[in-house]
Amino acid sequence: MAFSLVVKLLPMAALLAFPFLTTSYSAYQLGLYLLYGIVGQGIALCWGNGGFLPLGQALFFGIGAYISGKILQGNIGWGVVILALILSVIIPALIAGFIGALVFDRQIGSGPYFSLITLALSLLGYQLANSQVLLTGGFNGLTGINGLPGIDSYGNLYFFIVGALAVSTLFLSHLVSTPFGQLLAAVRENEERLQFLGVKTSRVKAAAFAMSGALAGMAGAFFAPHQGIVTPQVVGFILSAELVIWTAVGGRFGPVGPVVGAVIIGFLASGLRDSFAYWEVVVALVFIIVVLRLPGGVGGLGISIAKRFGINVWSQKKFSRTETVPGADQKESPTLEFDNVSVQIGPVAILSGLSFSIKQTGIHCLIGPNGAGKTSALNALTGKLPYSSGKISWRGNTLKGIRPFRTSGLGIGRKLQVPSIFPGLTIRQNIDIAIWVNRLKFTHLFSLKPYQWNISLLDELQDSFPFLKDNEELAGTLSVGQRQMLDFTMAVLAEPNLILLDEPCAGLSKSETENMISVISNLARSSKATFIIVEHDMQVVELLSDHVFVMHQGKLLAEGSLNQIRDNKEVQRIYAGGSK
Amino acid sequence: MEVLATFTLNFVYSSATLALIVLGLALVFGLLGVMNMAHGEFVMLGAYSAYVVQSFSANFLWAVPISIIVCALVGWLMEWAIIRHLYRRPFDTLLATWGVAILIRKGIEAIFTRDYKSINQIMPETVEILGITYPSYRLLLIAIIISLFVVLFTWYQKSKTGLRIRAMVRNPELASAIGIDTARLSSATFIIGVSSAGLAGVLLSPLVRVEPYIGLDYLLSSFFILIVGGLGSLEGLLIGSAVIGGSDALISTIFDKTAGYMSVLLISILFLWLRPDGIFSRR
Repeated sequence: MAFSLVVKLLPMAALLAFPFLTTSYSAYQLGLYLLYGIVGQGIALCWGNGGFLPLGQALFFGIGAYISGKILQGNIGWGVVILALILSVIIPALIAGFIGALVFDRQIGSGPYFSLITLALSLLGYQLANSQVLLTGGFNGLTGINGLPGIDSYGNLYFFIVGALAVSTLFLSHLVSTPFGQLLAAVRENEERLQFLGVKTSRVKAAAFAMSGALAGMAGAFFAPHQGIVTPQVVGFILSAELVIWTAVGGRFGPVGPVVGAVIIGFLASGLRDSFAYWEVVVALVFIIVVLRLPGGVGGLGISIAKRFGINVWSQKKFSRTETVPGADQKESPTLEFDNVSVQIGPVAILSGLSFSIKQTGIHCLIGPNGAGKTSALNALTGKLPYSSGKISWRGNTLKGIRPFRTSGLGIGRKLQVPSIFPGLTIRQNIDIAIWVNRLKFTHLFSLKPYQWNISLLDELQDSFPFLKDNEELAGTLSVGQRQMLDFTMAVLAEPNLILLDEPCAGLSKSETENMISVISNLARSSKATFIIVEHDMQVVELLSDHVFVMHQGKLLAEGSLNQIRDNKEVQRIYAGGSK
Repeated sequence: MEVLATFTLNFVYSSATLALIVLGLALVFGLLGVMNMAHGEFVMLGAYSAYVVQSFSANFLWAVPISIIVCALVGWLMEWAIIRHLYRRPFDTLLATWGVAILIRKGIEAIFTRDYKSINQIMPETVEILGITYPSYRLLLIAIIISLFVVLFTWYQKSKTGLRIRAMVRNPELASAIGIDTARLSSATFIIGVSSAGLAGVLLSPLVRVEPYIGLDYLLSSFFILIVGGLGSLEGLLIGSAVIGGSDALISTIFDKTAGYMSVLLISILFLWLRPDGIFSRR
C-alpha cells in the first residue's frame, strides 16, 4: 500500500522538480503539453468511462482560452483574474452540458452521430472565431494578452499549471470511484439496461460531457496567459483530432494516460520536427497500431506491466454492506390494463388489438407460439416500442409515449429476454446499481455511502444464488444461466410492484430451473409484487402460474387457470399445429 | 434570366461533382459500415495522378487508369492491413482511418512538397447554353457523372455481384454460409469505393486547387451530404448533394463564402440532431 502511494506521488514530485532539472524552455513546453493533457483527461472521461467519443473538444478549450485572453488583455488584479478563471471553466461546461442534454436525450447508444456533431461544432467554432473580428481578433488572433499578475509566463506559471493538473487528476480519480462514476461506466456497458433500471442516462452522459468541457475550459484559461496569443486554431478541427490521438496513444482508461500521451508526443514532435521532417508519419503509424492492437494505449500497457510486478494501480477501496436501507414501499394495487393496443411496423402488424387486464397480485404467465407478440407486449408496456393505437394504463397512469427510464419510477421492473447485464463491471457493481435504483438522491451521487447499502432481499437472493457473493468477478465472465440469475436479481432488487420477466429460465439447466422457480414463487409469496412471466417451458408455467394469458397473432386468444387453458379448443389447435 | 440560368447550371454542376465525391464514402459506409476518414485523401491521390501525368506531358486521359490503379492498390493494402480487423468496431475504424489519412497526406507532402500544383485545362473553350456562355468541361463532367451513376446503379441492381453484395449487407453470416466469399467481397467494395474517389479527383483536378491538405474539405462535405441524405439510397445521396451544394451556392452568392460554409454546418448539425437517419427516415 505504501509502495503504491509512492508510485502515485512520484510523478507529481517529478513534475515539480522538472524546471530545476532542465532548462526553463523545456519546462515552458511541458506546461503546454500538460494543458493539452488536461483536455485529454476530459476526453478520456467521456470515451474511456462513458463510451462516447467527443471529436471536437478543442471547441471548449478554445472558448476557455478566448474568455480568459479577452479579460487578461486589460490590466487587472487577482480578483478579476479569478473571475476570469471561473468564467472560462463554467461557460464551456454549460455549453457542453446543454449540447449533451439536447443530443443524448434524442438518441440512445454511442453511435458516431454525437462524435460528428461535436466535430461539426468545432468547425463552426473555427469559422466564428475567424469571422467575429471584434470579439476574437479574427484570423490574426487575440494578441496583447498579459500574464497573470506578478506571474512570469515563462517561469512560475508552470507551477500553476501543475497545480491545475493535480486538481483535475484528483477530481477525476475521485469521480470514477463515486456512484456517478459507476453509473457512467454502466452507461458504457449497457445503456438500455440502465434505462430499464430507471436511470435517465442522457443526463449522466450530459453531466460527464459538461465536466469534460469544464476541464477543457480550465486548460484553455491557462493557455491564454501561457502563450500570450489565442488564434482560431485553438478551437479548430486539427487540434481536436490531435487531442483524441494523444488520448488514445496515452491511454483512455484513467486520468494519467492522456497526460502521458500529450507529453510524450509533444516532446517527440518538438525534438523531431527539425531533424526528421516526417515525424507525423511516425505518430500516425503509432496511432494506427494503438487502435489496432493496444486499446488501452501506453498507459494501459504500463498498468498491465505494473500488475505483473504485483502493483495494483487501481486498488479500489473495499466496502462492506453495513447499512441496511429500508425496502421499497410496495402497494397492493396492481391494475394493469391493455385496451385494444396495436403496433404496426411497416407492413407487419406486431400487435393487433391486444386487450387484457390484471387486477390481482400473483404470477401471471404470458404464453403463445413464437411471434405471437409476447415480448412486444412488454416492449409496448415499458416504452421500448411505441404503440400506434389503443391504451395501456398502469394504476390509472396512461403509459402512452412513456420513456423506458421512467417505468422504474412507476414501480415497473423488467428482465429482458436475452440476459442483459453490465459485462465490464463486477458482480458487486451490477448489484450496487440495482440497489441504488429509486433510492439514490442527487447528494448521494458523489458520496461513497451508497456502497454500504444493503437490503434484506439481497441476503435472501444471495443464499439462493451463491455466485452473487463473488464480488470481484466480472459479470462478463458468467455463464448464460448465471447471467439470467443476475439479470433477474437486478430486476427484483429495485423492489418493483410489477415485475416483467421475459423467459427467466431460458438457457438454464434442469436444477437451475428448479432453483429459479422456487425463488420466484417464494418472492411472489413474500412480497406484494405482481409478476408477468413470458415463458415457453410448460413445466415452469405449471409450477408458477396463478393465471395464464395465451396470445396468438398479436391478440389475446384465451385466459384463465392453466387447466382452463388446457381444455380450450382454440389453444389446443394452435399448439397442436392445426391450420387456421 | 441570365442570373437564373447561371445559378441553375452552377447548382447542377456542384451537386453532380459532390455526388461523385460522396459516392465512394457512401458505398463504404453504407455497405461495410466503415467510416473512412481517409476518403478525401483518395480524392487528393486522384488529383496528384493527374499532376504526374501532366508533368510527363502525357495525355490527360492517362490519369484515369493511373489514378484508379494507385487508389485501388492503396485501398487494397489499407483494407488488408487495417480495415479487415476492425469491421463492426465503428469508433476504431474511424480513428485508424484517420491515422491512414495523416500517413497519405504526409507521404504526398514528402514527394511533392506542400506547394499548390495547377493542372492545365484540357477543354478551355466555352459553349452557348440557355442564353449564357458556360465552360464546356463542366458540361462534359455533368454528363459523365450522370452516365456513371446510371451504369453503377443498373449494375448494382441487375448483376450477380450486386446481388451478392446486397446479400452480404443484409446478413453477413448467412451470406458466407451459403458460399459467398464475404472477405473478398468487402475488400472489393472498399476498393471500388476509394477508386471512385480517385476518379473524382482526376476529373475535378483542372478546376480546383491541388495540394496535400485538400482531402479534409472533401471528407467533410461528403459527411455532410451523407448526414442530410441518409444512408443506403441513391436518391438520398443525390438529394443530400443537392441540399448541401444548393444551400452552399445560394448563401455564398447572397452573403459570402464563410456564410455559405456555416449554413452547411448548421444544416448538418440540425440533421444529425433531429433526423440522424437522413431526410427520408421514417422515424
